[in-house]
Amino acid sequence: MAQQDFSKKKALLIEDMAEARIMQRKMLTDFGFTSIEIAMKAETAIELLKNKNFDVILSDYNLGNGKDGQQLLEEVRHSKLIPNTATYLMVTAETSIEMVMGAIEYQPDGYITKPFSQAGLQRRLSKLLETKDRLYDVNVALDKGEYESAIAAAKVVMEKYPSLSGKCERIIGESFIELQQYDKALSLFSKILKSRKMPWALFGKGKSYFLMGELEKAEQSFRQLMLDNRFFVSAYDWLAKIQFSEGKLEDAQATLIEAIARSPKNILRQMELGKISLLLNDSVTAEMSFRRAVFLAKYSCYNTAEVYLNHLESLARISDDGPLLPRQRDNFNSTLKKIHESFFEDPDHKAKAYSCEIDVFLADKDILTAKQIFEAWLSEVKGGAATAPTKKQSSAYAESFGS
Amino acid sequence: MKKIDISTILASAIHESKNQVGTLLYQLQSLKESMVSKDANQKKIVSIEESLKKLNDEWVEYLYLYKLASDGYDLHADTFLLDEFLDDQVFALQPSANARNLELGYACNESLTGVFDERLMTAVVSTAVYNAFRFAKSKIIINAKQENNFLVISVEDDGPGFKQTDDEPDDFLEGNTGLGLYFAELSASAHLAGNARGYIKKDSSASLGGASLIVYLPQPVREDC
Repeated sequence: MAQQDFSKKKALLIEDMAEARIMQRKMLTDFGFTSIEIAMKAETAIELLKNKNFDVILSDYNLGNGKDGQQLLEEVRHSKLIPNTATYLMVTAETSIEMVMGAIEYQPDGYITKPFSQAGLQRRLSKLLETKDRLYDVNVALDKGEYESAIAAAKVVMEKYPSLSGKCERIIGESFIELQQYDKALSLFSKILKSRKMPWALFGKGKSYFLMGELEKAEQSFRQLMLDNRFFVSAYDWLAKIQFSEGKLEDAQATLIEAIARSPKNILRQMELGKISLLLNDSVTAEMSFRRAVFLAKYSCYNTAEVYLNHLESLARISDDGPLLPRQRDNFNSTLKKIHESFFEDPDHKAKAYSCEIDVFLADKDILTAKQIFEAWLSEVKGGAATAPTKKQSSAYAESFGS
Repeated sequence: MKKIDISTILASAIHESKNQVGTLLYQLQSLKESMVSKDANQKKIVSIEESLKKLNDEWVEYLYLYKLASDGYDLHADTFLLDEFLDDQVFALQPSANARNLELGYACNESLTGVFDERLMTAVVSTAVYNAFRFAKSKIIINAKQENNFLVISVEDDGPGFKQTDDEPDDFLEGNTGLGLYFAELSASAHLAGNARGYIKKDSSASLGGASLIVYLPQPVREDC
């Protein structure tokens, strides 16, 4: 193994415990890193990652009360805040490692279990960086979204370094999926599974079947994954997708509830459960999911109007059955306030927020306020700032206002 | 009062203790670095460090043991290059071997791959090597090979070898040997492939003359061969 030159690499160290942070920073300095940025929590890390480029990210899994290291990784990879050429090393404890290994879709480049020695960390980092070097052309192509060239580059790497063939095959399979060549992806994943039991290959197989519309076969793959390891939570997400496509909304809801019991902090999963619950007229479950999503959205890459508007919607649907409880009312006001602060430019967002507000006041039998809000909405419509109420809404309001 | 499961309590107590061992190791490392290299206490510090590392590894073993015995362990089998896996094990255990003036190495075909749970097998190999530390005269070697449809990993030493009267109940209660073996056995048998199940064997080392603990891990049968 070649000794790595760390001096020109930019490192980001994410660790909430002061003692460990000081120790790891010292280790990185000793390895030769000259550029080391520090984040004490995921939110700070996201800000840093938005504004700067890093070659190495060393993140603890446990980051205090906020997001954990795995969520941080999923978010920054999903939103492409870190390129594939960067190395993400997760520091785990014995208890958290299962969560990291169970995340099939977004795995760190490597993990190291606490406690580790300086020599142990150096060795792990050197190995990972060596692998990144070898896969450089592949990762550059992936970052550019050039999947054909990623496949070609991966084949070259496999030839030269047989020990990287697993990684390369995975990249090739996933690139086929990106290129919508599902039959090629499927035959590659199936071929791998014949000789080796790799969770990612089974996952890829299920995904290929799903995208080919072979829902039953897709379900088989995901169910197998769930049987193999209960920490493969994303298999539940895909099973829920299948059940949703088949119109089995209750089943999809049950699957997601189970997934959330295992891994509650995934915002997209909470949103999905909320949406399905709304379709099932289960506004209580929907409200709970969207409330959690609102909480998780703060400082996240998924901090979009949709999250907040959905939460309002779910509360408005609860109010269909009677006035909101004081606690629910507080939640409604707090989410509404956040919309006013950050998402009140878009005409559609305004219309949605107004309509939810009217519903809630009507449930309180506060017709006067409901009317005032409706008038405010209409005047914004005149100025072109808000989308007009639908005919259905207008006639429903007219009836409720009794005018 | 609701009856509480004592083994669950013990498992979480072990966890707490393990975390404290981790903190101690960190503190020791900074202490070590603040000392001048010729300080007479260096050797003592290294020996404390080694003991703490061993303690940490033992706690990890007990935690897995608890999970395996209570069916709470989800096997996470993946394919590994044995050359790399064994190199990692030797690297992690080398300082402990050095502190005892013992030679530690590994041997396997460099293209040999195997399917197993890396964390479990890391714990099993380290348990076996720590055990061999107690008996080896000068040398310990970890071997890996493929035999029929099994991956065979053996930890061999040049000590006196296993006692002939094995499997006696006293053996189990006597000390950490028995518990370590029990752990290795549970870990091996957690590995399944088709109808085959993993197992362990106590043997003598043909090359070194001492004990050989052999772990057999069933491998998926290749359909294309």
